[in-house]
Amino acid sequence: MIGIATTIFWAFLIIFSISAAYSVKDFQFDFGDPQMSIALDNKLLFSLPIHIQNRGLYNLGSFNVTTDISDANGSPIAHGSTFVQTIRKGERVTVFHNVTMDINDVIQNSSSYLFSDSQLNIAESVGMSLAELIPVQASANLSYPWGAPLYNFALGAPAYEPYNITHIKVTVPISFENHAFFDLAGDLQINMYNSQDLSLGAGTATINAPQHSPYSGNIELYIAMTPQATPSGYFELTLHAQYFNYGPWVILYG
Amino acid sequence: MANERKSGLKASLRKYTGKALKATIKGVLFYAVYFVLWMFVAPFATMIPGLQQSIETFVAIYITLMVIGELMAGTIYQYFFGAGKAMFVILYLMLSLKGGIMGMTIENINLLIDLRLFLAIAMLLSLLGLAKSVLQAINYVNDKAELTLT
Repeated sequence: MIGIATTIFWAFLIIFSISAAYSVKDFQFDFGDPQMSIALDNKLLFSLPIHIQNRGLYNLGSFNVTTDISDANGSPIAHGSTFVQTIRKGERVTVFHNVTMDINDVIQNSSSYLFSDSQLNIAESVGMSLAELIPVQASANLSYPWGAPLYNFALGAPAYEPYNITHIKVTVPISFENHAFFDLAGDLQINMYNSQDLSLGAGTATINAPQHSPYSGNIELYIAMTPQATPSGYFELTLHAQYFNYGPWVILYG
Repeated sequence: MANERKSGLKASLRKYTGKALKATIKGVLFYAVYFVLWMFVAPFATMIPGLQQSIETFVAIYITLMVIGELMAGTIYQYFFGAGKAMFVILYLMLSLKGGIMGMTIENINLLIDLRLFLAIAMLLSLLGLAKSVLQAINYVNDKAELTLT
C-alpha cells in the first residue's frame, strides 16, 4: 500500500512540476512604449505598459515588477513597484509599471548631474509564482545614460550699452546644450555683483530648450551708472525650471 | 537424482529469466516515461547549462539501482538496493537543486528559482521509500528467522 501511494504521489509531483515548467513557454510578456508625463507634484512619471498573456496550464501568482534607480554612488533616486495578485490561465492583463522621479532629488545628490552627462544605475527585478507555488525571480542591473540639462553651460562676456542717463543695459549671452530626456522650460534669474560683493542689478530670462538640443540666448539686466560698477565681479544665477529648482550658483566675469 | 538436479536447474533458470525479464521491462518502462517527459523539458534544457547531463546521470543511476534491485528480488539485497535508491534520490536532489534555491545567470539576467517546496515533498516521499525498504528488510529477516525456528 505504501509503495502504491508513494508511486502515485511521485507521479503527481513529477507531472505537476513538468507541466508547470512547460507552461512557462506559454506566458507572453510584451512591453509597450514607455510614456513620460508630469505627476501632480511636478515630478517626472515614467509609465511602462506591460501586457501579460497567460496561455499556460496554471494561474500565475504574485506577479511583481520592481525598479530601483540610483546614482553612481548608490544613493537611491527613484523606486517603482507594480504588483498583480493573480493572473488566471487564459487571461490577458495589461499593467502599468510607474516610476516617479524627482529631478530635484537627483540634483540635490550631486549638482554635477545638472552640468555633466553621467550614468544612472537601474536595478530591475521581475518576480512571479508559477502555478502560484513555485517562486521565480529574474533580476538585472542596467546602466542608463543621464544627459545633463545644462551641459556645457557658459555665460559669454557681458556687453554694456547706455540705456538712459542713469542706467546701463548689460546683455549677457547664455549657451548650453540640453542633453536631458525632458524639455527644459523655466526662468533663469541673474544677479550681478561687483568685486566688492555689492549688488548692481538683476534680470530674468525665460528659457525653453527642447530635449537633446542646444540653446543660446541672452539675458538682459540694467545697472545704475555708479562708480560701484566695476569691470570685474560675479553673476549669481538661479534657475526655476518646470521639474526642478537650482541655485544660486556663481560665475565670474571680467 | 540426475532428473531432480535437471528440474532444479530448470526451475532456477526460469526464476532468474523471470527476474531478468521483469527488471528489463521495468527499466524500459522507466526510460520510456523519462523519454516522454523529457520532450516537455527539452525547450528549457538549452537555456539551463548542464540540466540534460544532470537528469541523464540521475536516470542512468536510478535505472541501474532499480534493475539490480529487481534481479536481487527474493533476497535481503533487494531491500538494500531499495534503501540505496531512496538515499540516492535524497542526496542527488539535495546536491543538484542546491538546497532548493537555484540561481543562474543568462545574458546579464540573474534568474532565481525557489524549489524548496518541491524539494521538501520529494524528500518526504524518498524518506517514505527508505522507511518502506527498511521495514521490508526487517520483515524479511523476521520471516527467515521464523522459517529457521520451525
